Amino acid sequence: MHAVFAIPLWQQSLIQATIAMIAAFLVCSLALYYFRRVRLERPPIGTFNARDITILLAIILALPFLYAVLPSWAITCFLVVTFACSLSIGYRQVIRSQTVLWLIIGVLIGANIYEGHRMMGTVLGWQVWWLELDILVIGGAVAVANLYIQGGMRLKHVAYFALALAAYDVFSSLVINVTAVLVEEFVGQPLDPTFGFRFGAVNYGIGIGDLLIYALFAVACYKAYGKAASRVAIVLAVLLGGAAPSLCPLVIELIDFRNDILIPSQLFFAPVAFVAYLWMKRRYGRERTMGEYLASSDNIAPDSASAPAPAREPVSV
Amino acid sequence: MFETGVRQVRFAVGMVSGRRFSTANLASLVNDAVATIAEFGEPGADAQSLLGGPLPDPEERREFANRALRRTARRLAQRSPFYARRFAAADGDPAKIDVAALRAIPVTAKRDLIERPGDFQCTDVERYLSTRTTGTTGKPAEIWLSRYEMDLWAGFGALASVIRDELRTTDIMQVNVSSRAVAATHLAAATCRLTQTGCRLVGVLPPDDALDSLCDGGATVLSTYPSYLAELLNAARRRGLTADDFKLRRITVGGEVLSDRLAEAAGRTFGVARVEDVFSMTEVIPISGRTCSQGHLHIDLTSGHVELLDLVTGEPAAPGALGTVVITPYFPFRECMPVFRYDTRDIARCLPDEALDCELSGIPATSPILGKAGSLLETASGNVITPSKLVKAIESLPTEPWPARYLAEVEEGRLRLTLPEAAISGYGETAAVRHLAEAGVDADLIVVADDQAAQLRHTRSDLHETSFGAAQALIGA
Repeated sequence: MHAVFAIPLWQQSLIQATIAMIAAFLVCSLALYYFRRVRLERPPIGTFNARDITILLAIILALPFLYAVLPSWAITCFLVVTFACSLSIGYRQVIRSQTVLWLIIGVLIGANIYEGHRMMGTVLGWQVWWLELDILVIGGAVAVANLYIQGGMRLKHVAYFALALAAYDVFSSLVINVTAVLVEEFVGQPLDPTFGFRFGAVNYGIGIGDLLIYALFAVACYKAYGKAASRVAIVLAVLLGGAAPSLCPLVIELIDFRNDILIPSQLFFAPVAFVAYLWMKRRYGRERTMGEYLASSDNIAPDSASAPAPAREPVSV
Repeated sequence: MFETGVRQVRFAVGMVSGRRFSTANLASLVNDAVATIAEFGEPGADAQSLLGGPLPDPEERREFANRALRRTARRLAQRSPFYARRFAAADGDPAKIDVAALRAIPVTAKRDLIERPGDFQCTDVERYLSTRTTGTTGKPAEIWLSRYEMDLWAGFGALASVIRDELRTTDIMQVNVSSRAVAATHLAAATCRLTQTGCRLVGVLPPDDALDSLCDGGATVLSTYPSYLAELLNAARRRGLTADDFKLRRITVGGEVLSDRLAEAAGRTFGVARVEDVFSMTEVIPISGRTCSQGHLHIDLTSGHVELLDLVTGEPAAPGALGTVVITPYFPFRECMPVFRYDTRDIARCLPDEALDCELSGIPATSPILGKAGSLLETASGNVITPSKLVKAIESLPTEPWPARYLAEVEEGRLRLTLPEAAISGYGETAAVRHLAEAGVDADLIVVADDQAAQLRHTRSDLHETSFGAAQALIGA
């Protein structure tokens, strides 16, 4: 028996595809724009490695269960800290005045919490809430993607990370239905980590985790192999990360027990991204290190990483 | 990156708490630093602060020293028989020792170490490795080291070397120091293992053998004594070698006075911008010092306390005055056979009380080491002649007599300088006397045959080790 929708499935799929493609394109291009122009501070010692991927995966695996046991106010607090940290770290090089930066972050987060409690009675209220949330989600994904890649994460790491997430995504969406429960719980909650919009009675969206992977892949390709590789990455992110999962309900029935359409986006994107990584490695050879990228003409960011000179002082033993 | 963050926190806690460091954590941190350089080409900003310095605020620096001195003194009072007696005799409460009260504790002399080495060994530490001073300035002292100390110093040295770009994974370090300098050679090898650098422990071989190794072996870093550097330089010039024949990017020397003239010539011939003059000493390991581009000696202040004491009064030397360098390595940087207020008898001049503007200005400084206190000479005019002044004056002679061989004595208030014939050959005695006077050494000159040169002044390059290739073949049994 087929489910019956107030809006035809093909129409929903097209709207969802449009939103997902816009999100994928926006996050990839903005992350690249940021990567080319802004240098984040990094710790004195430390570079991303395979063990960090394992730690990230462990955190991602644990999060849904954490969300399940925590009260909503605690989840909101957790999300406030997460968004505030990522935005403050990511944009302190862009907005030099820390007061202004924190004011902007505070207003964005505060407004979203306020709207989530007060303005959800109308479609317009939802739309304002979504727009404001989209800024936070894209801003956060761009910042975190750059934090990781500028911290030494390589295309190889991203490819394996995406593949592992795809397996988890399929398992959590289609086997244990954790994703469905989370989406149901989160929609309309303050700081729902989703990029989306509402048309009529339906919310359309794509999760911040998926967007983060697309941004990571695009930036890692650029860092590793330059412009041509990043173009391939963006096309893959938009078509396989945005369009394909959204349009697949037209072909395959993926309606869950709540009548929601939940597509594990990484199922479409990650395997192809992995193959693309192998192809690029074969075609272009070894990945550039961050140091090699910084020394190349692709880097147009002003040098902000030089260590300050030690303080002078009148001393003698 | 996440694990590295945890390691850095553990490391920082170790620096602040004063408890023994985890050497495994330190080794992993070096590994992380090597990976960081491989990815980024350089460490992140503020990497120097990871090494514990500089402490720019004098008050903060004093408080750090006070805490470290108390910690060290408390342990020595409990674990070191020598210092338990010494603190008791000085009526000093180790818990109340600070920079100001430190002067109540008499300095420790090398003689104490030589006569009663067992009394210096702490009762709670297992001995692992013994090292001796080279003995070029007197009877050698034996120092026992623990396994922890060797791992710790190698770890710290490796971390500093990676962060300061002193050692790279692509480097090969050739070490031309005496194989009897056990701690130095072991540390060089252990440091290179951690930094993933090639290490060639060559010893003080005949210079031609070492040169072959430098040229053909692709060494990029050379560590040796100034006098042996001089021998290498002479051999290289004799063979017509130039900078193109070497791949060196760094030369570090220590243990003796390095003259500007020798440093400049060696830099030119071996193709390095600057010969680095470092300070280190077996008795006060792991304290070390670096010479900045302006010629100041900056001794590390995070692992030990450094004093410059007036040679006569024993009080802190006044600006411009000569003093002896007295060093106290802190616990937990030193644990097996530590010394407290060790009088190195190395002489340095206190810098004028003005702000430094060199690249290491955040670390306190003195002049470079000018020689040993026992080698100072004073003429009737009150002119104090340091070994550094003599070496620099002699090595700047146009005859380029490197390393300087001389005997300096004061007779009837006047300096008498004995030089080998080769030192003035083709230049003339009169011209040499004038040249030396212009360099601040007004002396009567005595010239002896060249075969007596090595007897005039021992240098560390005299600690030659023979090889079958170089030594005369023995015939018969």
